[in-house]
Amino acid sequence: MIRGIVIVGTLLLGVGVVAAQQDLVAQRATLMKANGKNLGTVLSATAKGDKPYDQAAIDAALNVLEDTAKKLPALYADSTKGLKSEGDFQASPKIWENKAGFAAEIDAFAKAVSDVKAKAKDLDSLKASLPAIGKQCGSCHEGFRVKT
Amino acid sequence: MGARMLRKLLMLAVLAAVAGFAVYWFVTIPGTIPQSALAAYTPNVANGKTVFDAGGCASCHAVPKEDRTLLGGGMALPSPFGTFYAPNISPHPTNGIGNWTEAQFATAVLKGTSPSGEHYFPAFPYGSYHLAKLEDVRDLFAYIKTLPPLSGRSREHELPFPFNIRRNVGGWKLLFFADKPFVPDPKQSAAWNRGSYLVNGLGHCAECHSPRNPLGGIVSAQKFAGGPNPEGEGWVPNITQKRLGSWREKDIAYFLETGETPEGDTTGGIMTRVIKNMAQLSPEDRNAMAVYLKSLAPVDGPPRPPKKETRS
Ligand code: HEC
Ligand code: HEC
Ligand code: HEC
Repeated sequence: MIRGIVIVGTLLLGVGVVAAQQDLVAQRATLMKANGKNLGTVLSATAKGDKPYDQAAIDAALNVLEDTAKKLPALYADSTKGLKSEGDFQASPKIWENKAGFAAEIDAFAKAVSDVKAKAKDLDSLKASLPAIGKQCGSCHEGFRVKT
Repeated sequence: MGARMLRKLLMLAVLAAVAGFAVYWFVTIPGTIPQSALAAYTPNVANGKTVFDAGGCASCHAVPKEDRTLLGGGMALPSPFGTFYAPNISPHPTNGIGNWTEAQFATAVLKGTSPSGEHYFPAFPYGSYHLAKLEDVRDLFAYIKTLPPLSGRSREHELPFPFNIRRNVGGWKLLFFADKPFVPDPKQSAAWNRGSYLVNGLGHCAECHSPRNPLGGIVSAQKFAGGPNPEGEGWVPNITQKRLGSWREKDIAYFLETGETPEGDTTGGIMTRVIKNMAQLSPEDRNAMAVYLKSLAPVDGPPRPPKKETRS
């Protein structure tokens, strides 16, 4: 009887843990989509001339990206290795095979965001500095993301 | 059956084999561009750099992780037929192409044939490059000659039989290599024609963005409609209007410059290499490619493999 309870309990616990890990994967997708929104509909849209320059909106978008960079390391915890995302893109196993390389990508991304934050004060300075962020998104996606 | 009958039959079989082999040999003779086809010409090195960037030669031939002008080769290119290693095409006299003639270079890029008269494997995308203008290829040769010579040769390709037999590539060429030059369409704008030239020829976009048949030929009815990644894991998206219908010309041009989609995604995987090349081109050339891509009729790609379980 006791054994039975222990087994059921362990199973439930196991399910709980897997669900929590799967939740990290879902959080990643949400954050990444927000990255896309901030970059696409605010920052790049302004640089492309689709939106008027609005310093408050630019700063808000950059703050979110800065915050995201801080959250990323924990979201790619070892326990999420091999878990699949619902979306069209998957985390590559290389994230856990080359941890130093992945950490360097996150650092370079954070640095690009703070650089733009320091520099973007009007349309011209935004246009000149923004490409550094997109380059870092692309650099991480080049090595560590797989389209399915 | 009498012995004479048997002998006759055997004779016939041998004759058929010989005839078959002769046909095989004849249809698989590698094509060349003779020196005599090259009239006196002063190459335009600046245009050669544009051709180099549009063709993405650095994506495969640059030493991995090094500057795009260091063409020492070495990059591994996995494929369903085995792994290819991009050779050294820097102007080094013995390890690279420093001692090649212009005709040998043009023959390699436009015909897929080596100086010793062998076929190159289509992992070298001459199936698209053959659309390039001869002058563009001569300018490209002049540009590559200005880059630093690097010593060292890359590894041998790792290909199982029969894919390692270069002569067999002749059969592939017969089936899939349309050896016709680029013909502009007079009904279309100059930008459209330039875009078509870049997308179909030097840009070799269809090499990745199309499904392939089991022999490695592009399925022409689904050209640009996407398919499994020829270099391994993952999927290459559809770039006909089926997928890009909501992208404006300027969105496509901006994507080719920055890798950013209008949805805000930033492209990844092997497309990142392509963007590095496209970013080097002039805004006019990127716009021209966008004009051409917007004109591609919507085509459904092959079915995607079913999504894997979300829990492992
Ligand atoms: C440190 C690496 C890294 C950085 C930096 C990064 N990404 Fe990602 N991104 C990923 C990975 C890995 C995935 C695959 C999903 C996952 O992690 O489960 C992804 C997925 C995405 C997706 C697809 C989400 C979905 O499921 O549909 C979008 C959109 C995206 N990223 C946008 C961006 C943008 C825009 C930036 C820059 C502002 C960026 N990313 C920066 C690693 C990164
Ligand atoms: C997708 C990868 C890829 C791209 C892009 C590419 N090549 Fe290559 N190239 C190869 C491979 C693989 C080979 C080896 C083919 C073989 O051994 O049959 C090769 C062979 C060659 C050779 C013959 C070298 C020798 O030693 O015989 C030349 C010359 C060459 N490429 C030039 C170019 C030029 C110029 C460009 C750009 C216009 C280019 N390549 C773009 C993959 C590529
Ligand atoms: C070496 C293979 C390769 C070549 C060559 C290539 N692509 Fe791609 N392309 C890809 C892959 C893989 C993706 C998906 C990238 C990702 O994971 O985000 C892609 C994505 C794209 C997208 C974004 C589509 C979407 O759904 O978001 C466009 C547009 C595109 N490519 C256009 C082109 C054009 C134009 C060319 C020729 C100049 C080209 N590609 C050449 C592999 C290639």
